[in-house]
Amino acid sequence: MAEHAVGRSRGFNPGKVAEGDNYLKHSSGLLSWAFTLDHKRIGVMYLVGVLTAFFGGGLLALGIRGHLMSPTGALFASNDTYNQVFTLHGAIMVFLFIIPSIPAALGNFLVPVMLGAKDVAFPRLNLTSFYLWVIGALFFVGALLGTGLDTGWTFYTPYSTTTQTSVILATMGAFILGFSSIFTGLNFIVTINTMRPPGMTWFKMPLFLWATYSTSIIQVLATPVLGITLLLLIAERTLHIGIFDPEYNGDPVTYQHFFWFYSHPAVYIMILPAFGIISELISVHSHKHIFGYRFIAYSSVAIALLGFLVWGHHMFTSGMSSLTTIIFSALTFTVSIPSAIKVFNWLATLYKGSISLTTPMCYAISFLFLFTIGGLTGLFLGVLSVDLHLHDTYFIVAHFHYVMMGGTMVAFLGGLFHWWPKISGKMFNELWGQVSCLVVFIGFNMTFLPQFVLGSRGMPRRYATYDPEFAFLHQLSSVGAFILGIGLLIAGLVLLHSMFNGRLAPPNPWGGVTLEWQCTSPPPFYNFSRPPVVGDPYDFTGLGWSEQDQNYVFLDPIQSPDEAQTTKPVSQPAHAGGQG
Amino acid sequence: MISGPHLIGDYTNRFWFPESASSFSDQVDSTFMLVLYICIFFMVPITIALAYFSIRYMKKKGEPAESQTSHNTPLEIAWSVLPSFLLVWIFVKGALGYLDQQGAPDGSDAVAVKAFKWGWTMDYGNGVIHPELHLLNEQPTKLTMRSSDVIHSLFIPAFRVKRDIVPGRYNEMWFKPTVASERVSESELEAAWKDAKENNGGVFDREKYQFTEDGYRFHDLYCTEYCGKDHSMMQTVVVVHETREDLNDWIKKYSGRTDQSPAEYGKLLYERRGCASCHSLDGSKRVGPSFAGGFGSEREYVGGGKGIVDESYIRESILEPKSKIVAGYSPVMPSYKGQLSDDDIESIIAYLKTMSK
Repeated sequence: MAEHAVGRSRGFNPGKVAEGDNYLKHSSGLLSWAFTLDHKRIGVMYLVGVLTAFFGGGLLALGIRGHLMSPTGALFASNDTYNQVFTLHGAIMVFLFIIPSIPAALGNFLVPVMLGAKDVAFPRLNLTSFYLWVIGALFFVGALLGTGLDTGWTFYTPYSTTTQTSVILATMGAFILGFSSIFTGLNFIVTINTMRPPGMTWFKMPLFLWATYSTSIIQVLATPVLGITLLLLIAERTLHIGIFDPEYNGDPVTYQHFFWFYSHPAVYIMILPAFGIISELISVHSHKHIFGYRFIAYSSVAIALLGFLVWGHHMFTSGMSSLTTIIFSALTFTVSIPSAIKVFNWLATLYKGSISLTTPMCYAISFLFLFTIGGLTGLFLGVLSVDLHLHDTYFIVAHFHYVMMGGTMVAFLGGLFHWWPKISGKMFNELWGQVSCLVVFIGFNMTFLPQFVLGSRGMPRRYATYDPEFAFLHQLSSVGAFILGIGLLIAGLVLLHSMFNGRLAPPNPWGGVTLEWQCTSPPPFYNFSRPPVVGDPYDFTGLGWSEQDQNYVFLDPIQSPDEAQTTKPVSQPAHAGGQG
Repeated sequence: MISGPHLIGDYTNRFWFPESASSFSDQVDSTFMLVLYICIFFMVPITIALAYFSIRYMKKKGEPAESQTSHNTPLEIAWSVLPSFLLVWIFVKGALGYLDQQGAPDGSDAVAVKAFKWGWTMDYGNGVIHPELHLLNEQPTKLTMRSSDVIHSLFIPAFRVKRDIVPGRYNEMWFKPTVASERVSESELEAAWKDAKENNGGVFDREKYQFTEDGYRFHDLYCTEYCGKDHSMMQTVVVVHETREDLNDWIKKYSGRTDQSPAEYGKLLYERRGCASCHSLDGSKRVGPSFAGGFGSEREYVGGGKGIVDESYIRESILEPKSKIVAGYSPVMPSYKGQLSDDDIESIIAYLKTMSK
């Protein structure tokens, strides 16, 4: 009985948002944003913040590539400047952009809406997270304006304990950003555990929530270690406590263990939410049930847990014992399996679907291609003898940019285009969106494919100058980077243009069946006027396209809202064991 | 100028790799190619399926999908488990290759390596220290490596070997070179020296000629752990000698002052022993004070006090560099105690005196 009633009543069309209820407009003025507790507004503020950081980090990247147009360095007068530029590029992209991009910006907007809830569990903590992010970012700006930072984003000792640059300012920034990350993770764990609506069991959650939940576990468990490490680093620098600096009987390799114990799991903080987005995008734009829901969900959790056991693979050359090194190599291969499972499942979802090559779908398909390269090239680095040759060369640089940028950044853009109608209430220009995706795809591959060859031919990373035999591949890569920059610029302009000239977005422009498509675009500040009815998040049967409204609607005879209300709710909510 | 790519160090016609010049490199290359074939084995079908599905199943909006299959457990278990066998294969191959590189065989030659910001010294014993790494062909050689400041990493692409050099511990590595370095003709070497004297103030730029000042072709040796400002300049070269006599002749050539004057020898030490990376000859400020006009001048020290730069001050600065730091500089210079003989230090002092005339 329940299935039938659910199947039809979820077709309820929310229509347009009342002008006074629109979350973007129901109150106005700077303070209404600065002190908002609305998760959607906090999400939008995060979005502005991370995009600003991305823009800054991106300009620094173009600086790096511009400099490397010539073997002796084309742009910066001193190697010091180049070192500061690549350090800030890495630190800004990692700490200010990738880590908060999907969970904090899109996650904040989506998690409560996907749960049919009004807000996250702790709205004030949520706002605190955002301001911690801002303060952390200000510390980075301070380091930039002060004496700069030239340690690389990894802050390896003893270089970081002896350099004259603003290490303390930057590590304090990263320390504070860590708390922002921990609070967000904590908030999502509690929200997803306690606020799922009746009927939404764990295995009826959208996969984006599974990914967010797995990410949050890592954020809460791993980030404190980063905090400890950075505090110890500051103590070593100022008080010489003798833990990391050999001059005071410390051991630099200890620092690397501490650092990667956080920073390897952090790699999964960066990529897991992207997996969540791609699961949504592939399924919705193929209008087909996601293939292998349980395998995808479990593989997220498996990655989150296994990710804690492989940090040693960043240190294969640092002189660990042979046994330790071999064990870390073996463990590293175990992480590759869950990622492979996801790729196969997404491909199978496309098979016999009804695919719309919309902008978000184009980005999702790009992601599949780029992430597969990123993942497969990780195999070279897990193989010990080959890693000894490739470690700290451009092969590594290419590999992690394929994962972090081709993976996370492309998924983030796909997600941004996918949920943009919901966030902004406007539709963007589809053709130019697709063009941006194509240019980004071409530019990206042109930038990073040559770097694999550079690396295997022996070009070390973090070099301000290089031997002339590498010049051609470096120049190819630099030209690619500028094409990539143009692609991203187009994407940004498409979104900006839509805000002013875009057509009003219908509630469900892509045909999704998760709950965010059952509220208006943009949602009212209270999200749902009545509790949405929960069903299978990937059951697309009965969904049809209305040319007139440019909207997806359920073709089943629709119950009136009042009738839907009379459907008897289950006596017990899901988290108390109801509707197992 | 470089007249063609064949002159560039380690250049080969192979797409993926530099020259293969050690007993490890073929093993590493074949493992790399194995992994590459496995990647292609996955990548090609995935890409074809991705492109084909995206086009074949493109439909108008609202058209239902042909299938709503939500899972197929046997298929999913198959594609989860079967690739694992390939992973075990490459893991074992990689681990065995790694173990080969651990533990140098008995009877290896030994070279002590010291890395510093931003240069290398290779200690061949008996006080012979030179920035270039010279080896004997087909002879296993063990490097015992230490750093006097931050972490460095020694990487020889042609040998496919790499190991970090961590301050506070000795890290070891070994390899067996399999290709002897060519030696250019005497006339070519003379022409290069003539060019260096006429156009470059007598400084021999080996990157320009692509052979060392003794006329050997070389392999590149890089630092691959970021170590600060001139990390990318922290390069030296590896020369592999055909015979033990040839290697010994080369070592003998650098075993101390022969018929040069102390000042001439001091200049060689300045170039070879790493002084040049921090002390300029033209008065410009690097990590340390310039040598130009230094001797005989008055210097203020960090923390007050001042003194004249005389013979004993220079000697103290070489042996205990952190005792009196010139104002405006950091105490970063490593001690050369035990690494420079009295004659070496005297030669350096004599050379510095010539810089202040």
